[in-house]
Amino acid sequence: MADLFAWLLSFFLLIAIVGIILYQLMCLADLEFDYINPYDSASRINKAVIPEFVTQGSLCLLHLVTGHWFMFLFCVPHSYYNFTLYTKKRHLVDVTEIFNQLPWEKKQRIYKLVYLVFLLCASIFGMIWSIVE
Amino acid sequence: MKTTGTENADRANFPQRPAASPFTAASQSTTPFLSSGPVVGSEAFAFRPAPPNAPQTTPSAPQTTRPYLSSGLMVGSEASGFRPTQPVRYNDPSIPRPPSSFVPPPTGTLQHHPTPQFFSTAQAPPPRTSPGQPVFPPPIRAPAGHVPSPPVYLHSQPQISSGQMGSPPQSINYVPSGRSVPPSSSDSLFSAPRSTLQPLQSAFPGYSSKSPNAVTQPPPVQSAPVFTHQGGYGPPPPATSTPFLAHQRGYVPPPPVAAPPAFYSREQMQHQGSGLPMGAVQGLTEDFSSLSLASVPGSLDPGLDSKVLPRPLDGDVEPKSFAEMYPLNCNSRYLRLTTSAIPNSQSLTSRWHLPLGAVVCPLAEAPEGEEVPIVNFATTGIIRCRRCRTYVNPYMTFTDGGRKFRCNICALLNDVPGDYFAQLDANGRRIDLNERPELTKGTVEFIAPAEYMVRPPMPPLYFFVIDVSISAVRSGMLEVVAQTIKSCLDRLPGFPRTQIGFITFDSSIHFYNMKSSLTQPQMMVVTDLDDIFVPLPDDLLVNLSESRSVVDVFLDSLPSMFQDNVNMESAFGPAIKAAFMVMNQLGGKMLIFQNTLPSLGVGRLRLRGDDLRVYGTDKEHTLRIPEDPFYKQMAADCTKYQIAVNVYALSDKYTDIASLGTLAKYTGGQIYYYPSFQSSIHKEKLRHELARDLTRETAWESVLRIRCGKGVRFTTYHGNFMLRSTDLIALPAVDCDKAYAMQMSLEETLLTTQTVYFQVALLYTSSSGERRIRVHTAAAPVVSELGEMYRQADTGAIISLFCRLAIEKTLSYKLEEARSSIQQRIVKAFREYRNLYAVQHRLGGRMIYPESLKFLPLYGLALCKSIPLRGGYADAQLDERCAAGHTMMALPVKNLLKLLYPNLVRVDEYLGKASSKPDELNISRLPVTAESLDSRGLYIYDDGLRFVIWFGKMLPPDIAMNLLGEDFATDFSRVILSERDSEMSRKLMEILKKFREIDPSYYQMNHLVRQGEQPREGFFLLTNLIEDQVGGMNGYIDWIQQIHRQVQQNA
Repeated sequence: MADLFAWLLSFFLLIAIVGIILYQLMCLADLEFDYINPYDSASRINKAVIPEFVTQGSLCLLHLVTGHWFMFLFCVPHSYYNFTLYTKKRHLVDVTEIFNQLPWEKKQRIYKLVYLVFLLCASIFGMIWSIVE
Repeated sequence: MKTTGTENADRANFPQRPAASPFTAASQSTTPFLSSGPVVGSEAFAFRPAPPNAPQTTPSAPQTTRPYLSSGLMVGSEASGFRPTQPVRYNDPSIPRPPSSFVPPPTGTLQHHPTPQFFSTAQAPPPRTSPGQPVFPPPIRAPAGHVPSPPVYLHSQPQISSGQMGSPPQSINYVPSGRSVPPSSSDSLFSAPRSTLQPLQSAFPGYSSKSPNAVTQPPPVQSAPVFTHQGGYGPPPPATSTPFLAHQRGYVPPPPVAAPPAFYSREQMQHQGSGLPMGAVQGLTEDFSSLSLASVPGSLDPGLDSKVLPRPLDGDVEPKSFAEMYPLNCNSRYLRLTTSAIPNSQSLTSRWHLPLGAVVCPLAEAPEGEEVPIVNFATTGIIRCRRCRTYVNPYMTFTDGGRKFRCNICALLNDVPGDYFAQLDANGRRIDLNERPELTKGTVEFIAPAEYMVRPPMPPLYFFVIDVSISAVRSGMLEVVAQTIKSCLDRLPGFPRTQIGFITFDSSIHFYNMKSSLTQPQMMVVTDLDDIFVPLPDDLLVNLSESRSVVDVFLDSLPSMFQDNVNMESAFGPAIKAAFMVMNQLGGKMLIFQNTLPSLGVGRLRLRGDDLRVYGTDKEHTLRIPEDPFYKQMAADCTKYQIAVNVYALSDKYTDIASLGTLAKYTGGQIYYYPSFQSSIHKEKLRHELARDLTRETAWESVLRIRCGKGVRFTTYHGNFMLRSTDLIALPAVDCDKAYAMQMSLEETLLTTQTVYFQVALLYTSSSGERRIRVHTAAAPVVSELGEMYRQADTGAIISLFCRLAIEKTLSYKLEEARSSIQQRIVKAFREYRNLYAVQHRLGGRMIYPESLKFLPLYGLALCKSIPLRGGYADAQLDERCAAGHTMMALPVKNLLKLLYPNLVRVDEYLGKASSKPDELNISRLPVTAESLDSRGLYIYDDGLRFVIWFGKMLPPDIAMNLLGEDFATDFSRVILSERDSEMSRKLMEILKKFREIDPSYYQMNHLVRQGEQPREGFFLLTNLIEDQVGGMNGYIDWIQQIHRQVQQNA
């Protein structure tokens, strides 16, 4: 039973991360099409970055604690990437250079998204597996 | 061996190469027609068949485009300047035909040729030939003569050009050369025939009988058409036929002799050279230029004389042909394209390895008489395209009796507002055209109505943030600044609305209440740096005209107020924050005078300075970007509230310009850097530049956008500003000394339009409080040939973009990588260019480059040696690097080129002459190399930012004495050049003044340097002699060789 809850929790965490990243992508797209100005866009994105990283970190930890080794291994690269970004202080978008960085920022988030969708499938699979068992 | 890209060089080189012979052989085998073509190697040979050929060329063209092609190819050959004329030879006859009257017509066509219509014709040769055919019959039908000839002539022209490169300038070449045939050949061959001209005139039959003779040499197939046409040609007035005969006569003998083509070609080249009109020479030089280099890579002997390398000693020469082609375009001081020929496909763009873009200087100073016209659409509102929002411009076409206009950028048909309606005349031009500057001028200024404002236009606002710590006072900065500001108060733009305010800071922040009712300012001190607040809601920022007396009192007392200040701290960050809080209601210009490294409060910086070990590692670039995110954030906020920041950094120690400069960079401001400021030495410079900053015409709260036609899009922008949206540049304050660069890319794989239009629009508030839009419009042709793009290239704009790209690159990569990227792009561009021509030519060890880009390698080298990019740790101070980088990011093209390749002139002879007056000053520029320096001379080195005055060792002592008085023997670092009581000194000062007047945007400070006085000489002059090999950097010759070698690799 506990395992099922763990899977459920990881599922919701994943959904949260996907949501946050989608939100950031939306902000970037809006900026590209000139619906919002770079100041608002940057501040909105930057507000969401830390929660995203924290959620991702806790997801990783959750898998470690509950002993989902494979899922943990899948999460580690993403967490490590976030961690290096954070230590290099490149996790926040730079409002002054946001237009030059726009393609890269978008690409990075799209890759994350694809990766997360894969994780999401895996976690749904795990959840169903634990229910069946 | 001559080099410098003139056709002289080619001519000189040509005879040595027997290139002509392979061609003859090859072409003879291909087609009959060719046999006459390739023989070209010798003029005489070509000429003999010429007369019959002339008529023949045209009709046979459709069948034999290929021969033409081959001859054309040959033309493009190394012979370059010279060869192209050959094919003309056999077209020529069409010219001489009406000899008496013909000379004028060609000039007419000559002028027509460069027009855009011809581009299309050149691009599509086959369709062109067929229309030509119908034109041809007239000579047969109506022997009347002259009328038919021009069409024929015209028609054959594009053919050649198409065969050749499809390029108009080349076809220009033909025209004049064709025209020049008689004069040129007259040198030797013609002179005799000329004399026999009269008798021959009557002997027309002789002509026909002879020409078959001539034609017998070519295969019979050819001769048939020849005959028929000859019939056609026979009838033309006797006058026309004579020259033919003359030709014939003159040329018949040579054919047998024509065997050694090289010899002939040389002869002929000389003839041409002497006979060509000036225009033709220019046209020819456009083809390509070459430089002979030792072909053995790595050989010790350079094999290259440094004297012949191209040097921009005439300064920046803008390409003229473009402006002539589109006279309605805005002046090139406002907008310069890297190439005035836009590629028509993405594949073509990818072969153009140089940047594709534009450099815009929206408010460039117009010389007297060329002021920008101001248009007020009070009643109608500004006329713009409904869809793409393009402003009305000369390229908009009015249709439907004047009721509609078609947008030149998006081709949408718009309605003309009732008040703007005017009827069209017979030519489809508006009848009121002459009263409408917006329809006749490339640059206009519209007065913008209320819908272009988000708030009432702001007044000009100057806010001073002044460091009053001990070093600021000691260096004398405070005094100079106070005096200068005071002297400029009357000249601040925007009287009587101008607003002004002051903050001073050391470890605390001092505000000044300048309320007009006070007699002297009230000072308020805020010491709480963590939670900064503004002690007074208003009256910190006051109207200058109302509070003038208080401001005067304040500025008078400012130096004395702090003269005993011993505070060494600097609360820079909090002071800026405070200033921001005062200013953010209105925006304006914030001038910061900073003397020490910020040490307190937010934005404090540490001495991360010059760590030798960091250079060459991946962390090198971090030294050049702001350390504290506070500065970027602050800059972004300032831009948001229309505040432009100018930073005056005057420290004698490291002040982290990389961080401080960010404030200026993203707010459209400027960095002024005075290392080790001492008022005794730098006073004049600071005074001049501050005064210029305060008094030059400034545009406030502005935005800049550049629009361009469908299929093309501007993608990246480079310069000191912040983007507000993908294509909108926000500029809180902009003036005539700032330029912005942008790169474009093609959105569609193939452009279908013939012309691409560009429109730069700057919406701003003038100092007088009017909202205005300055609009610059330009058109550029779309081309399908890479060669044409090279021909229309603009070195100045390319270098300006290179410079900005490289400096941006230093912010995230090593210096080395930034330099090599410049080199790589030059190499790629030249390699691609070489490939264009190498196919048909054996170029051997020669380096070829387009005439338009002959200075590109030199400027590229200068760029690599410029302060922001040069060397490594020891070659420039970090602060100096960053400051120069920020400056160069904003410089207009002309100033940048002067900075890169400075003026070096020798003045001692001029000074020695007793009689000469300053206005007779005509000193030629010297190559910037140590070889130009004669130890008996006195030289001035002027890069636009400073003067270095170099005293040779053997300079007659009386000159030094006259100029420096008793100081001439002392240490030059302490000597100040000032006017002394001698004729020579007055003259020198006069010269310096003249040089300064050329460009008032910066004040060139004098640095006196004596030959052999190290390290001063090395620091100021020797490291800046860009053609020399200095500290591991290439000299000019080495650089050229290196580029050449790389071009040849995988070529």
